[in-house]
Amino acid sequence: MVRINDKSDKNHPMTLPLLFFVFLFVISSAGCAHQGGKAPRPSPGQKPDHGAVLAAGDEKPLESEGREEDPLDAFDSGEDLDLWDEESEEESISVADPLSPWNRAMFHLNDKLYFWVLKPVAKGYKAVTPSPFRVGIRNFFHNITAPIRIVNCVLQGKVQTAETELARFLINSTVGGLGFGDLAKNNPKFEKPPAEDLGQTLATYGVGNGIYIVWPLMGPSTLRDSVGMIGDYFLNPVTYAEMSSELSLGITGLKTVNETSFRIGNYESLKDAAIEPYESLRNGYIQYRDKKARNKEDGKSERRYDNLIKEWIR
Amino acid sequence: MNKMIPVLLVMMMSLSGLAFASDQPMDALQKPIDEVISILKDPQYQDAAQKEVQGEKIWNIIQKVFDFDRIAKLALGKYRKNFSDEQLKTFSGHFARLIEDTYLNKIQAEYKNEKVNYLEQKIRGDKALVTTEVVREHIKIPVDYLMYSDNDLWRVYDVKVEKVSLVKNYRSQFERVLGDESKTPDQLIEQVREKLEKQKKGKNGANK
Repeated sequence: MVRINDKSDKNHPMTLPLLFFVFLFVISSAGCAHQGGKAPRPSPGQKPDHGAVLAAGDEKPLESEGREEDPLDAFDSGEDLDLWDEESEEESISVADPLSPWNRAMFHLNDKLYFWVLKPVAKGYKAVTPSPFRVGIRNFFHNITAPIRIVNCVLQGKVQTAETELARFLINSTVGGLGFGDLAKNNPKFEKPPAEDLGQTLATYGVGNGIYIVWPLMGPSTLRDSVGMIGDYFLNPVTYAEMSSELSLGITGLKTVNETSFRIGNYESLKDAAIEPYESLRNGYIQYRDKKARNKEDGKSERRYDNLIKEWIR
Repeated sequence: MNKMIPVLLVMMMSLSGLAFASDQPMDALQKPIDEVISILKDPQYQDAAQKEVQGEKIWNIIQKVFDFDRIAKLALGKYRKNFSDEQLKTFSGHFARLIEDTYLNKIQAEYKNEKVNYLEQKIRGDKALVTTEVVREHIKIPVDYLMYSDNDLWRVYDVKVEKVSLVKNYRSQFERVLGDESKTPDQLIEQVREKLEKQKKGKNGANK
């Protein structure tokens, strides 16, 4: 279900002032589909909800990135059996949340923004926009952020994945028509690999989550992932395009609304199923990122540049 | 006759082996899921008036393979010991209802010919992991089931969608209610009950 998502998709980790500007912009342009502004991302985007278990029926947001990690490994290591240890004092995955009051306030803000602004806008947009067009827009934004994924694959030693990403980028940017089409995926060799971002790269270097942070509009994150977003911002070609700030905001808004149009209903089921939605979203985000950071190139020899870099640092 | 003994032994062993082989966790999961899918596709239930009957049928199947009592207990984690047997029973009943209300209605409303691929199974002692993916158009969602052998019957005790464990997710929520807010088991039960009522109202409201 929810394909949550990767920073590379959300990219644009804007600086704080810009964020607030965007926020004002969203408020002032509420209801105007194509200039929606950066919308809240508490959305499904951020959290795989359990709906999929049974509710195979959800609109699935992104195309699959395939299996990212062999779940059998976790099973082997006995990690999954921890659950049976009911006396266990600590949760296997948890995150420090000293900013809880701020985070809760932002969670509520994002929640309201989703229901009052983003959802109605995305619904209207979905109603008037043919599905192939929306898929094309999504492909375009995915394709243009390929440099972020390629660099992070290399930094994580995922050389084969980096090659796949590069090949996909070249094919889709040319014959795919500037990335609007995803022709590369027709070749099983070039199926969409799991998206890598700097937050995950830092994680592979041993950087922990730090603290949990909920950003207005962008939703759940952690200190590490926020630093990653800033880094990825500079790897995003869109950052370097010369355009007016209005245009840039319009693009961000289009991207957000377009993405949300694939996910309407996911955030709602997350909330419906939760007793404590804030905790549910936080835990979901942390679990999801944790698994994502631990993915490996299966069956392929991984050249670990991170080991070289670690040695070099020593 | 003495010659027959080893032959009988081998036969018995292979028979029990066969019985064991047919009792695989993946089969235990696949059968009910396939059954649910065929009910979802069944034209006789497409009418809105039939949805309730359809839902009931599906829920009966799901309950056999998903051990909601176990899921509820695991989700409570260490706080389980604060619950009396009575409270535990009420709680897991409400908890199962919450999951039913949230997801069952959703699948019924949105099922669009999704397919389930069964990938692998791994058994360790009386626990097993079955990995699957739900395929919708070109989108694949990994769904993993953790199962345990309950009197030779494989039942699900946790589900991971996109690697996010349902039990761990609920555990973090109950930690909030019972730990941080130090509420009593009865208060948590009440909270779940209120949630159920709210959803019911929302549903009726939406139908109007």
